[in-house]
Amino acid sequence: MMEAVTLKGVEQHRAHFQLGPIDLNIDQGYVTAIVGPNGSGKSSTFRLLLDLAKPDAGQMSVLGYPVGQGDDREWKRQIGYLPEESDFLDDSIRGSEKAAFIRKWYSEWDVNLYQDLLRRFEVDDSIKLGKMSKGMRRKFEMALVIAQKPKLLLLDEPSSGLDPIAWRSMIDILHRYMEPGERTILMASHIIDEVRRLADYIVFMARGQILGKYEKDELFERWHILYVPAANDSDRGKLLAMPGVIEVELAGVGMYRLMTNDAPQTEEALQAAQFSIGSRQAMQLDEILQVLMQKGVYA
Amino acid sequence: MWLPIHLNENSAEPMYHQIEVQLRALIVSGQLTEGTLLPSIRELAQILKCSVITVRRVYQDLETEGLLRTRQGTGTFVASVQQEDLGRQRTASVIEAVEAAVDAGMRVQLTRREMEQIVARVIDERWKES
Repeated sequence: MMEAVTLKGVEQHRAHFQLGPIDLNIDQGYVTAIVGPNGSGKSSTFRLLLDLAKPDAGQMSVLGYPVGQGDDREWKRQIGYLPEESDFLDDSIRGSEKAAFIRKWYSEWDVNLYQDLLRRFEVDDSIKLGKMSKGMRRKFEMALVIAQKPKLLLLDEPSSGLDPIAWRSMIDILHRYMEPGERTILMASHIIDEVRRLADYIVFMARGQILGKYEKDELFERWHILYVPAANDSDRGKLLAMPGVIEVELAGVGMYRLMTNDAPQTEEALQAAQFSIGSRQAMQLDEILQVLMQKGVYA
Repeated sequence: MWLPIHLNENSAEPMYHQIEVQLRALIVSGQLTEGTLLPSIRELAQILKCSVITVRRVYQDLETEGLLRTRQGTGTFVASVQQEDLGRQRTASVIEAVEAAVDAGMRVQLTRREMEQIVARVIDERWKES
């Protein structure tokens, strides 16, 4: 499998923030979402990948090209980047003027797709960018990067400022963008539902560190809460020692609440030890992130 | 294209297995007929809110079983199922479901007799309904 993005031992030192060392591979053909609280280093990582900031250590590649060496026009033409904040330098020009400028740089620019996206998003590109509402400007910028038909889309909090209707259109448009099969999306998001609907892989990040990369469905299949009826106090230790179990709490009389990161293994062990399972529940993304943070960087 | 596949995210069954069982049942029951074009991998992943990795696995498994075939560039279709295969496939999915039910009974330590009674009762009830 080809990798769209690689980071090897990447570090960035700042007075109040240390990023990395980061080791991460992003597979081509998939949507990977980086999930983490504000200030965890998601946007900084994007800026490093685009050579907008220099790392203090490590190597990176994007679409097979080494970052920070030689002529970067060839690979940057194949990337669509949607930063978290709009560029205020563009405030005084109209949408159509910005589009006319962009199309000069991107050889794959698809004017029909651009017009189609503006229609779907109900955006009028004759308006000056500084006069657009936050949501309209976001939709305009989204249309702009997708019409470049990039091989790699870097999206930093793509839905910020979008209303629920526009958000749904965005999800659909991004799925369609991925349809050809060899394209890649790397997105940073803290919107749980967005990650659930779009991602194939999830990368957890906090305090400048990668906490883990998981295949989405496997993650939700493994991280479960199990309710186990157990009468006596000595069972607690037994339950805590089972494979996958992270946490055991008393949840009412004679009922334990187990948190596991490997539900199939835990269930097997429970059955072998003659425990029954009262009920089970898949954990949500934010709960998993919280546990990973407690166990990892904040431990 | 809409497929009547329902996923239970709180189930102990892995997602790919839930999809595979239901899609196989749709094919062997004849609800999806030979030559039907299935959604693309990305589309089905979008509909079911799962990853393309899971859907690809399901399509590959069912292709290996001969229930689906993929034509490069055009998509994944329901294959022609031989009559004897169809019979075997039909019972295979039922056997699998009964095995799961028996496992569930053993987990709560039912006796053999109790399980037989339950099965007989369910069969009686369902036959009356239909």
